[in-house]
Amino acid sequence: MNASGAQPTPAGDLGIEVLGVSHSYGNVRALRDVSLHIPRGTIFGLLGPNGSGKSTLIKILCGLLRPSGGTATVDGLDVTHQAPLVRRCIGYVPQRFSLYEDLTVLENLNFFASVYGLSGATLTQRREWVIELTGIGPYRERLASQLSGGWKQRLSLGAALMHQPRVVFLDEPTAGIDPVARRELWNLLFDLSANGVTLLVSTHYMDEAERCGRLGYLYLSRLLVEGEPEDLLALPQITPPGCRRVEAAIEGSAALVMRKARTLSYVQESTIFGNNVHLLIPVSVSDEQISHDLAEDGLTVSIRPIAPSLEDVFVRLTALQADAAHDAGNAEAAS
Amino acid sequence: MRGFLAVIKKEAIHMRRDRGALRLALGIPLFQLMLFGSIDTNIKHVPTAVYDQCRCPESRALLDELVATRTFEIKRVVSSHQALRDAIIAGDVKVGLEIPPDYARHRLAGTAATFLALIDGSDNTVASQSLAAINGLALTTSLLELQARTGIQAPPVAPRPQVLFNPDTRSANLLIPGLIAILLTFSGTLLTAYAIVRERERGTLEQLMVTPVSAVGLIMGKLVPYLVLAFCQLVLVVFLMTTVFRVPINGSMLLLAVLSLIYLTSLLSIGLMISTRAKTQIEATQAAQAILLPSIMLSGYIFPLSSLPVPLRMLSYLLPATHFIAISRGIIIRGAGIGDLVSEVLALAIISTVLLTASVVLFRRSRL
Repeated sequence: MNASGAQPTPAGDLGIEVLGVSHSYGNVRALRDVSLHIPRGTIFGLLGPNGSGKSTLIKILCGLLRPSGGTATVDGLDVTHQAPLVRRCIGYVPQRFSLYEDLTVLENLNFFASVYGLSGATLTQRREWVIELTGIGPYRERLASQLSGGWKQRLSLGAALMHQPRVVFLDEPTAGIDPVARRELWNLLFDLSANGVTLLVSTHYMDEAERCGRLGYLYLSRLLVEGEPEDLLALPQITPPGCRRVEAAIEGSAALVMRKARTLSYVQESTIFGNNVHLLIPVSVSDEQISHDLAEDGLTVSIRPIAPSLEDVFVRLTALQADAAHDAGNAEAAS
Repeated sequence: MRGFLAVIKKEAIHMRRDRGALRLALGIPLFQLMLFGSIDTNIKHVPTAVYDQCRCPESRALLDELVATRTFEIKRVVSSHQALRDAIIAGDVKVGLEIPPDYARHRLAGTAATFLALIDGSDNTVASQSLAAINGLALTTSLLELQARTGIQAPPVAPRPQVLFNPDTRSANLLIPGLIAILLTFSGTLLTAYAIVRERERGTLEQLMVTPVSAVGLIMGKLVPYLVLAFCQLVLVVFLMTTVFRVPINGSMLLLAVLSLIYLTSLLSIGLMISTRAKTQIEATQAAQAILLPSIMLSGYIFPLSSLPVPLRMLSYLLPATHFIAISRGIIIRGAGIGDLVSEVLALAIISTVLLTASVVLFRRSRL
């Protein structure tokens, strides 16, 4: 058995396809006309602030919610009309730990394996594979309630992989677990992806976004962008024509530079990164000028040009979207 | 049926791990049986006040005979009509007897000797039984007197009453067969409702819903372990009934066991139906109240079905408890066989099937 053991895949090269999906909870619009095309074997990162619709989209794709509009397929199967078939080929790791706390690790794994129709030698074989994959062996006999957050997540993932799904959904799988456990979980995801499993991971962490093959950014129930990280960094609206990004480094306090930068009318965006400040400025402003303008009390400010980060991308997109919404609101009020 | 055995196995582990809940599930019906099973519905020693204006051998004879019925117990002797009324209003006594000064004179003269009996009507059972006891005593006394005067030896009409099955009219024999049905209604409905709602609250149901587990497999897998648990409750309660309360089972114990399984299935199905709708255990408890109280009031456990107005009686036939109480009383008290209980058994079987099917359909509909 190989590391992921994904079952043979049917024709078609899309693991997940979402076409114009909308969803409302009563009067609250949770998703508006969202479309996604995720090739097989991709790790797709779904980003967006809380309440932007990430969990709703994942629930629709798992067949837990019926979309109010649009269609979606997972592994070529329609999530609404072929829900029972979809369930056989997906794994779902929810945001909150949702296995049985009063069952041991082994009992949880055995239960989910039998629910997926495994029994006898196949069950044992598959269970041992999952235990080896997740490294949860030392905790076999431990009650799930007594596991740490990281191990709980791995157990969840293990239970979701028992039937060798071709598509796996993870809803903020690393929320609240330590950096080492996070890295180990991601290594596991890379292994799965290398074996052709399609993964959709929602997250808040930018470093996790950078590990994804493709990204989508949901904001206020709309998908603002979708694409490979490099494409997103190169989007024209991120660094508008006639502008450039620089990093201002200073001995001492970055907050001091930040305060000064905010008073300069030509600075379009300023964000603190550690001891440095990232600025979006017009091309016409030279390094010497900005260094001069930021300098205070004889402190030297060093300036170097930089490329935008993914965080810059999402901050910029959110700001643009908020402006657009504001303008639309004004236009509506005026008419 | 996919997942059926897996779910049964998992539920069994839950039960084994949660010893406290298991002890409560088995202990509470036993405790309630001990508590309620000892209630005596025969009215005895009704507190009585007496205002005897005659104070003669005749009035004393009347009071002695009233006390001898054991229905009344003289708690107080008062010296005015008003005091008699006040004692009843205050709730100190339930019955007030007032014997007028001319009672002895009328008795000796053979003319109508009257006495006043005030009865507290705020307690229906006590009032009707006290009234019957006083009337009965007056009638017997009059009859004996008339026989002596006319020389007719035998009364013209003499009933030969015979109370079947429970000759001593022991309350336990009547009460406990019905009480069994009621005690199981509580635990059967709520335990099953909680079994699914708890999973919804903890998010494990959502996890289960993304697996290919079938609605039938999940529901039956939940039902079977709780059916076993509820049956254990039943066996314990019936065992206590026959040993501690000495209520004999006059009919077939096997028949009782088989029919109670059908009854339990209907109760658990109600629990499952509640759980397909309720989001929290509190909601489930509230929904369960809607079925529990009618099961006590309308099932014939407290009031005979014949005393219910027609629309309520229709409703009572929809309750599984109504039919099971009839079955349980039939088998335990009257020694009835399956042939005597056809309509009740049929009704119970239909109700169980409909409820179980409905719970599966509702559950399936809550999923895509």
